[in-house]
Amino acid sequence: MVEAVKLSRHNLFNTHIIPVNFKYFAPKTLNEALELLDKYGKEAKILAGGTDLLVKMKMRLVEPKYIINIKGIRELNFIKDEGNQVRIGALTRWRQLEKSELIKNFFPSLYDAVKVMGGTQIRNMATVGGNLCNASPAADSAPPLMVLNAKLVLASKKGEREIPITQFFKGPGKTVMEPDELLKEITIPKPEEGSGSAFIKVARTSMDLAKISAATALKVEDRKIVMVRIAIGSAAPTPVRTPKTEEALIGQPFRPSIIREKVKLVVNEISPIDDVRSTAFYRKEVSKIIVEDALLISYERASRR
Amino acid sequence: MSSSEDPYALMEKWLKAKEFLVVGKGVRRADALEKAMGQARFVEDFYMPGHMLFIKQVLSTEPHARILGIDASKALEVPSVEGVFTAKDIPGENQVGYALPDQPLIAEGKVRFAGELVALVAAKDFDKAIEAAEKVKIMYDPLPYVLDPLEAMERKDILVHGEVGSNIAFRTKVRKGDIEEGFSKSDVIVENEYRTHHQDHVYLETEGALALPELGDRLTVISAGQYPHLVRAIVARVVGLPESNIKVIIPYMGGGFGGKDDEGPLVAAKAALIAKLTGKPSFLMYTRDESMLMHPKREATIIKYKSGASRDGKLQAIEVKIIHDTGAYSNRGPFILWRATVHASGPYRVPHAKVDGYCIYTNKVYQGSYRGFGNPSVQFAAEAQMDSLARKLGIDPVELRLKNLLRPGDLTITGQQLNESVGVADAVAKLAKVSEWSSKIKAYSSSNGRYRRGIGIGVAWHGISTSRGVPDWSNALVKIEKDGSVSVHTGIVEMGQGSPVSSHRQIASEILGAPLDVVTVDFGTTDAPDTGATHASRGTSIGAIGVYVAAAKLRERLNKLASELLGTSPDEIEIKDGKAYLRSNPEKYISWKELIKEAYSRGVEMSATGYFFLPKGKFNDEAGQGYAYPAFSYVAMVAEVEVDTYTGKVRVLRIWPALAAGRIINPTQVEGQVEGAAVQGMGYVLMEQFVFDNKGRILNPNLTDYVVPTALDAPEIMRPVYVEDIFKYGPFGAKGVGEMALIPAPAAIANAVSNALGVQVTKLPLTPENVYFLIKEKMGKKA
Ligand SMILES: Cc1cc2nc3c(=O)[nH]c(=O)nc-3n(C[C@H](O)[C@H](O)[C@H](O)COP(=O)(O)OP(=O)(O)OC[C@H]3O[C@@H](n4cnc5c(N)ncnc54)[C@H](O)[C@@H]3O)c2cc1C
Repeated sequence: MVEAVKLSRHNLFNTHIIPVNFKYFAPKTLNEALELLDKYGKEAKILAGGTDLLVKMKMRLVEPKYIINIKGIRELNFIKDEGNQVRIGALTRWRQLEKSELIKNFFPSLYDAVKVMGGTQIRNMATVGGNLCNASPAADSAPPLMVLNAKLVLASKKGEREIPITQFFKGPGKTVMEPDELLKEITIPKPEEGSGSAFIKVARTSMDLAKISAATALKVEDRKIVMVRIAIGSAAPTPVRTPKTEEALIGQPFRPSIIREKVKLVVNEISPIDDVRSTAFYRKEVSKIIVEDALLISYERASRR
Repeated sequence: MSSSEDPYALMEKWLKAKEFLVVGKGVRRADALEKAMGQARFVEDFYMPGHMLFIKQVLSTEPHARILGIDASKALEVPSVEGVFTAKDIPGENQVGYALPDQPLIAEGKVRFAGELVALVAAKDFDKAIEAAEKVKIMYDPLPYVLDPLEAMERKDILVHGEVGSNIAFRTKVRKGDIEEGFSKSDVIVENEYRTHHQDHVYLETEGALALPELGDRLTVISAGQYPHLVRAIVARVVGLPESNIKVIIPYMGGGFGGKDDEGPLVAAKAALIAKLTGKPSFLMYTRDESMLMHPKREATIIKYKSGASRDGKLQAIEVKIIHDTGAYSNRGPFILWRATVHASGPYRVPHAKVDGYCIYTNKVYQGSYRGFGNPSVQFAAEAQMDSLARKLGIDPVELRLKNLLRPGDLTITGQQLNESVGVADAVAKLAKVSEWSSKIKAYSSSNGRYRRGIGIGVAWHGISTSRGVPDWSNALVKIEKDGSVSVHTGIVEMGQGSPVSSHRQIASEILGAPLDVVTVDFGTTDAPDTGATHASRGTSIGAIGVYVAAAKLRERLNKLASELLGTSPDEIEIKDGKAYLRSNPEKYISWKELIKEAYSRGVEMSATGYFFLPKGKFNDEAGQGYAYPAFSYVAMVAEVEVDTYTGKVRVLRIWPALAAGRIINPTQVEGQVEGAAVQGMGYVLMEQFVFDNKGRILNPNLTDYVVPTALDAPEIMRPVYVEDIFKYGPFGAKGVGEMALIPAPAAIANAVSNALGVQVTKLPLTPENVYFLIKEKMGKKA
């Protein structure tokens, strides 16, 4: 059993101060972490890179009684090529994705997201698992993983289960994970031959959450769209796929005028709001443009391969 | 004072210097290493949890309400709580208004904006202070409130300050010639309404202060502020002690930008109040949201502007109405409005001018000092007018400006004649060349397609020192110690800009002939004579004259002493490279250290103050005419942008700055100031924006929701064009640069966007949402 580490009170000063008292654990193995989750799950928070969690704790939006820092669990940090799929450990930092040829070559949409996620400092700290589990509608890894048909492996003391990423999000900050569960890894099938993908994000600054974002994956054969997937971020309570728009595009000739016409449908499949980052109106207007842009880039990438 | 130590004579003498040892060079600042290593100490580094009281603020949640009662009973039950303190506990005066006596330190009777301070809670334990603050109950009787300045101007039934009888806090005016005549001579007239918004300073370090009670009813206050002597004055007033009982130390500061000129003294007064009442060391540090909810913002404005010009491109008349939303308190609003009013023309000759300014109370966070001080908004309007005129006249925008820019001998709109140090036309001409203005404006004016390039120029002026006859002075204490090291004591603070740790050392070293590395500057302290504030770009201009004059006095004494020792006349003495020697015969010398030793043994005083009082004229408020400022710094900027016309996103690609700001003492520091100000200005134009709810509460008081540009967003900023238009009342002729590059940034960027889109921008910020509307509106018009 891992002992609770007592934090020095000196943590309270020198900018800035987490106004929450908590017990802290730093398990070294997945099993230890799952034990702790089993015991404290409901009142505990997992700490990975901390770039979401600590901000929320400073603002007192969450006040966990227990912190389980999983950063020391080596077995959760990997990128593995398994032939027809790639497995990414939940603790993999964005910076590692950025440096991975595998990601760059096979999953260009995810690689696009990596390039525009935070700044170097954040990418050095933040994990891809944390990004998903934080369940922000603006999470940059979600739209690309959605169009890449990624699956998530969730683990608890009771065992493991695998679900498609499209079934993971429940609402802002909410997922299907049980309190005793932890995200273990992400598996992404290698894209089919002749397909391409892309991700585009509109944000206020270069280190900001998306006002709106879109990922697409596309395959064109004999000038006709034979596969298309579209996911949009920051435009609904969760990142969403837009099946009706996809359906309307399937079988269509890949022509800019047709794409422009059909992508107008996406506005019916999102429900953006006015908030401090943008307006519902703007998000709707721009969703069409970035989906179109992403489709054109996906096409270009597909034909380059 | 011996006549050889007359400050005016000494300044004149050194102004003639042609060759320099360290001035004009990119000398490394003294604090570079400390800061890079994380060793520099800021206010918060002096806090010792558990050994001091921590102060937490209780803020109003209402925009306008009578305070019926404050129930602190639950808060006082929290362990380690020392007390809950309100307006009635203030031993001195509860009055901290800078321009008008309209502002309490702690709300008394009523609150005027959501975010106003109502009570202070002090506890030994940090967590407990927070917990207790949350338990203070305030009973409000809500009053009707007013948020829109145009509405507030008209209303008599809702008054932010009942005793004033209206929501107009202050009015200003300029009158020159006869605008009717001017407009009748005009072949083209353009008229627009401009709107600009609030901006937060977003200094890395929020506001903080530590107050330490000392024996004999004295207090030492370590605080973040921009003027230690003003901090002391406000603390003294609030706690009811003589100023001489209070010592203020401003350590390294993580940014000021004007915000800590306003808020600094208030933070210090709050900490001092608790220290005085409890007799215990007391520490207060704003959280980011407190900082953003409470401290004054860049003014939000509405500017109605009408300009006329004759066919030959000569400006004939302007009529301007400036409305500043000053929020709940006037703070420095009247001064800010005054500056905006007299700068309304831009740096141009305008024969007929009528400018009216209104400072309007509303139930929102109040406005205050921010780099540029009322000037960026009005220069934005003035420069948009110039572009509109240029378009109507069919004259190139730069050419139109060159036809009208002030030149030596010209009169400003207040009728002040500018005889010297007017290098703006030269700077603009050079800037047009380096930015390849002519070819770009031609190419971009017809740009088509989704991504459109645009180029724009902003030219601005900025009066140096305080306005009108308001007294301004400088001072410092310079001592040469027995071992030959030099200590400079100044009230100028180090807030990142570097004046005390770079230019002040250079000035002392240059004048004394002492090696740079023996000069140490003790800054931001009331132990120095009152130096004036570190604001208004004066740290290396008027603020440094004290060092300049004090060092010059000592140099006179050293020259005299050396000449006696070496058997020559004082004029023959050169001091350099650690020696004093004969100009005609460098072999005849005495070392610096020996010289100082001799001074001490022969009774030559090796300390001097450098008091300097800036000569000024008078402004006639009734007539709206007269003397405005001793001189102006000038700045121009060309910006090149690219607009994605599908998403409305604007990218600033490149910025070319130009300065006519007198002598450049340290080009490295100046480049830092120019780059920082340009990026801060770009953030203001493109990204930064407060969102208020229907009670005037700020919805985004944090850096997740209020964003500033990052290094990745910064455009390429070219090396500045310098025109060194020497000013006689500045150290070696320096006029000051700290604020400069921010002032024309809104104008330059907005004009570039206008150029790219073919519509005149009149409203900031240029967020993608707003630009998208602009594009749609234009397409709608075309259709
Ligand atoms: C300055 C800044 C810029 C940012 N920019 C972006 C951006 O551009 N795009 C973007 O999408 N995000 C951005 N973020 C948000 C954040 O960095 C990312 O969401 C990041 O990936 C979170 O990962 P983390 O490891 O830091 O998560 P943490 O903060 O450690 O955790 C986040 C949440 O997930 C839970 N959690 C973490 N790991 C697991 C796991 N394996 N199993 C179960 N639960 C887990 C935690 O309990 C917590 O609730 C930014 C944040 C900051 C501070």
